[in-house]
Amino acid sequence: MPSKYALGIDIGGTFTDVVVYDGEKQKITSRKLLTTHDDPARAVLEGLAAAIAEDKIDPSKISRVVHATTLFTNALIERKGALTGLLATEGFEDIVEIGREKKYELYDVHIQKPTPLAAKTLRRGIKERLKFDGSILCKIDENSVIKAVDDLVTLGVESVAISFLHSYANPVHERIAAKIIQDKYPKLSISLSSDVAPEIREYERTSTVLANAYIKPLAADYLDGISSGLQKQGVITPLLLMLSNGGLADINEAKRIPVALLESGPAAGALAAAYFGKSEANGNVLAFDMGGTTAKLSVVDRGEPEVTYNFEAARQKRFAEGSGLPIRTSTIELIEIGAGGGSIARVDEINLLKVGPDSAGSDPGPTIYGIGGEQPTVTDANFALGLLAPETFAGGNMTLDVEASSKVLEKLSTQAGLSQQSLAAGIRDVVNETMASAARVHIAERGKDPRSYALLATGGGGPLHGADVARKLGLKRLISPASAGVASAIGLLIAPARVDRVTTVATRLDQLNWSDFEKIFDRLEQDARKVIAATGLDPNTISVTRRADVRYVGQAFEVIVDLPSGPYDINSTAAFLDAFEVAYRSKFTRIPPSGPVEIINARIGVTAPGEHISMHLNNADRASAKPKTRKVWSSKDRAFVDMDIYDRYCLQPGDKLFGPALVEERESTLAVPEGAIARVAEGGEIVVDLDGEDL
Amino acid sequence: MRKDAFDAVTLEILWRRMISAADEAAKTLQRVSFSTLVNESNDFACVVTDASGASLVQNTESIPSFNGCLPITVRHFLDVIGTKDMKQGDFLVCNDPWVGTGHLNDITIAKPVFFKGELVAFCASTAHAPDIGGKVRSVVAREIFEEGFAIPAMHMIREGEANATFFQLLRAAVRTPDQTEGDIWAQVTALNLMEERLHALMKEYNLSSFDAFADEIHGRCETAMRKAFKQVPDGSYNFGFKTDGLTEPFNFNVTVRISDDTVHVDWTGTSDQVDRAINCPAVYTFAMTSYALKCIFLPDLPNNEGVFRSFTMHAPKRSLVNPERPASVGGRMATGHYLPTAIFGALAKALPEKIMAASGSPLWSIIQTGVDDEGKPTANTLFFNGGSGATANTDGQSCYSWPSNISNVPIELTERNTPFFVERKSLREASGGEGLKRGGDGQEIVLRHSGKRNIGIIFMAERLRHPAHGLLGGEAGAPGEVLIDGNSADVRADHIISPGQTITLKLPGGGGYGQA
Repeated sequence: MPSKYALGIDIGGTFTDVVVYDGEKQKITSRKLLTTHDDPARAVLEGLAAAIAEDKIDPSKISRVVHATTLFTNALIERKGALTGLLATEGFEDIVEIGREKKYELYDVHIQKPTPLAAKTLRRGIKERLKFDGSILCKIDENSVIKAVDDLVTLGVESVAISFLHSYANPVHERIAAKIIQDKYPKLSISLSSDVAPEIREYERTSTVLANAYIKPLAADYLDGISSGLQKQGVITPLLLMLSNGGLADINEAKRIPVALLESGPAAGALAAAYFGKSEANGNVLAFDMGGTTAKLSVVDRGEPEVTYNFEAARQKRFAEGSGLPIRTSTIELIEIGAGGGSIARVDEINLLKVGPDSAGSDPGPTIYGIGGEQPTVTDANFALGLLAPETFAGGNMTLDVEASSKVLEKLSTQAGLSQQSLAAGIRDVVNETMASAARVHIAERGKDPRSYALLATGGGGPLHGADVARKLGLKRLISPASAGVASAIGLLIAPARVDRVTTVATRLDQLNWSDFEKIFDRLEQDARKVIAATGLDPNTISVTRRADVRYVGQAFEVIVDLPSGPYDINSTAAFLDAFEVAYRSKFTRIPPSGPVEIINARIGVTAPGEHISMHLNNADRASAKPKTRKVWSSKDRAFVDMDIYDRYCLQPGDKLFGPALVEERESTLAVPEGAIARVAEGGEIVVDLDGEDL
Repeated sequence: MRKDAFDAVTLEILWRRMISAADEAAKTLQRVSFSTLVNESNDFACVVTDASGASLVQNTESIPSFNGCLPITVRHFLDVIGTKDMKQGDFLVCNDPWVGTGHLNDITIAKPVFFKGELVAFCASTAHAPDIGGKVRSVVAREIFEEGFAIPAMHMIREGEANATFFQLLRAAVRTPDQTEGDIWAQVTALNLMEERLHALMKEYNLSSFDAFADEIHGRCETAMRKAFKQVPDGSYNFGFKTDGLTEPFNFNVTVRISDDTVHVDWTGTSDQVDRAINCPAVYTFAMTSYALKCIFLPDLPNNEGVFRSFTMHAPKRSLVNPERPASVGGRMATGHYLPTAIFGALAKALPEKIMAASGSPLWSIIQTGVDDEGKPTANTLFFNGGSGATANTDGQSCYSWPSNISNVPIELTERNTPFFVERKSLREASGGEGLKRGGDGQEIVLRHSGKRNIGIIFMAERLRHPAHGLLGGEAGAPGEVLIDGNSADVRADHIISPGQTITLKLPGGGGYGQA
């Protein structure tokens, strides 16, 4: 029987969303509160209290609570984590500061590397050494561990990361060190690289475990706090956390490896996109979420957001790839682009129009908000073109300074040598190109063809810019779900439990001991199943996928291969090679001349499906679907023309509309461009065919 | 004032689209290549030129030397092969140091791009081959003939048909035939992708050529460079320093003449060419000169031919920075990487906010050759970076590649793939020069030969005697050191290392800025 209520909590940088799904009425109610940065749990508990009081929700009947948060990411960016020490193999204490030695910008002589999370004074070398195959060359000197930790504790260290060379091949020394520390300082927080990111490449692994250690004490305090706060309000069911990979974890797992939660909010957003795209695009969508400062884009294949095993946190220079701290945990792959409604337009030194990555954000905001912004932004351009209108923007509840907005646009148009409308249209075009370019490179990196996807647009700006971005990428279809403004929180309601485990194998296929290989998968699976069991989901529904990172000997990048299911034996070689070649060809179109194959990492993903939710988001009474009209700029006619404006709350499944048209709802406006046809689908989402083919 | 062919929006969009095509190609190349030089160390570039070989765009993370050299190679293809012999589906190849990147190891491949039957552009890429045969950049080489497999400008693929003889000869000449050939095919894949993107762009914007686009971006960048030149008082700005050299130190000398909106860079006074493989062909000298000027005068704009056209350069014939054939050039970066630093030194007083003190570069490397324990031939290159120089605003960065942009290979991969066991890799504390802003620290690495057979070792190591200088009162960084079993090693000689022997590298620190 469907459970009565599910609760989704998403804490973002600006807003905290609290969403309740009523399983009986199949209805979602949401609350948006300002994030309370001094005590983030406060907004959550206030929102929940309001839901309990106003919507008459019995908290004891909430059967599922899932939480996503950007708090830990922010702690890394703002460097507000714990004082953290690092134990490394003696002679290699500085690896985390030396990094990969490569610049992220070529021509900037003032460039700076990201500062390591543990300063030189907080890094200690331990006498120990493993060989690359995991065998012990020098047994760990236990006294050197004690001495190092005594030292660090004296210096006030609250959390310790341990990262020894080749620990991915054998964790024994890291575990001995952890045991010694735990015995002497039971309260000290400890993170092991072999535990957090057991993968080859010492800098990246150390960077990951250090980030984990850095946020671990904070995560423990916060998670315990919010968990007991929920209990006090009468919520009985245990709190689950969304992971960066879109899976769920119980509170103990989350406290153990908080670095796996860094991207929990965007992951929930991608899951929601996958969900919304399921019925209309076979789940093959590019999830495109455009907000005030950034746009996020991720690839969803057959309803599964793509998962990657490396990303960067806390970039030294925003949006500059390579300027952040590498984090090797499984993460829903996504890119963040410096393009949003608040992105500032300017003319550069050679008179080209530039938009972003600098943003007016929500404070001071676009000039038209009239709260201190003095720069022309994308939102100002959208108003100037009539795509947004003061009487309907944000439900018509905002006082807007149209005059100031027009003034800043006029000033820039003079500088750019364009008419004011051409400038405004140009601002849109440039910001759309920025997003499309980033998308193209991102998709190329994954070896995919953008044309096989539908664009799923969410966020305040997604539906307004989606069609143009989609056309630039050669996509034929755009989907705009209802209630896109709280999409991430909806993703929390439908998330499956997912646990990923990895270990480095680093063996050539022709030298592989298949029975050992099988044992590795079996061990990873048992470990992952334990974690799933703790989430309370039905263990009988679990599905297991085996993957491996495989490459030709000599390559440095591995292809992640979906493997046939086990158990394996010596006869599995052919099937394994087949799977590798299929994966390789799908990424790179051709197989190289020859060469042996090498397995770097073995991975297991254990998933228990989330609850099925049926939603009737479109629950407004049908009034008149007849559109109003207003003057909107047409780039084709180079004039303002009458355009149909639909009220989304009056549309019903089956309704059809023809571009050019706008569909307005409280939090966003959908632009249906000229030549396109849109249809309202069963679930309330609007599907736009950009080629104007009848759907 | 002439009428712009594109408005501020259209040009911006076309430009961005072109860069993203090069970036897409770069990501593809990086993923499919075999060589760690490409995929871990970033030693490659993807460029689009117009039909005349003038640079339009390159991939965002490409390395400065290739950006400057690649268009020159494309023009060389035009000169010796000619447009008449270029067809749809052709791929041209070359590694001639004098028209390539300055040494044989970088293989440049270009694909002429046709649209409606007309040649409209070239997609080109350069990638450092895993091996090119010969003496492997040993400085001991006296002539280019000793340095490996030379590929004159020629067709590698003609209308889709691969030249089998070329591949046979190449495979026979190099130590790593599978990897070297695999990387060439990776380049082909990347070029095809770029071509596809250019075609799509031309269709969408209804372009019949890139001529107008090229004129615009070249014109605007050149104008912007010249506008920046004008801000500097007219004058002749000179700077010189000594470097390790061979038995005698080398002299580097540059004069930057600025007059109104023109800049002329003159390398007269720099030492003569030598019969060791550290001569730096003029193409590379030009690329490094251009890089330094762009860092100073136009750091925020994408690079293109407009930057190259904004200045003139003279490098005296038969000098270290413009050697004549058949000079050996394998280690040309050991000379070339000093050049931007010289230009910074010259302009330090005029533009104190824009320059940086000397870095602990040229890039260091060790090249290992021999056979592995099973008797299979191997060749491995490992890179190491010293500290970068300080600037008016920032301390120098520790172990940061400059002016090149080459990553280290991770220790855990080094130990797996090479005969080396790494005993330590740490910062060399206080090796950065003192100053108002401090130079970045170098690093110390100790490698032990843990294989069973003797191996050959070639060092590329500079600033052992002449450290990275400071500027405007900042002090020099610490000089570097290279030791074999604790004894100072002659880095200009080839070495045979026996199992158990250790190599210690102490990388130089960067120079400080301003009086402390």
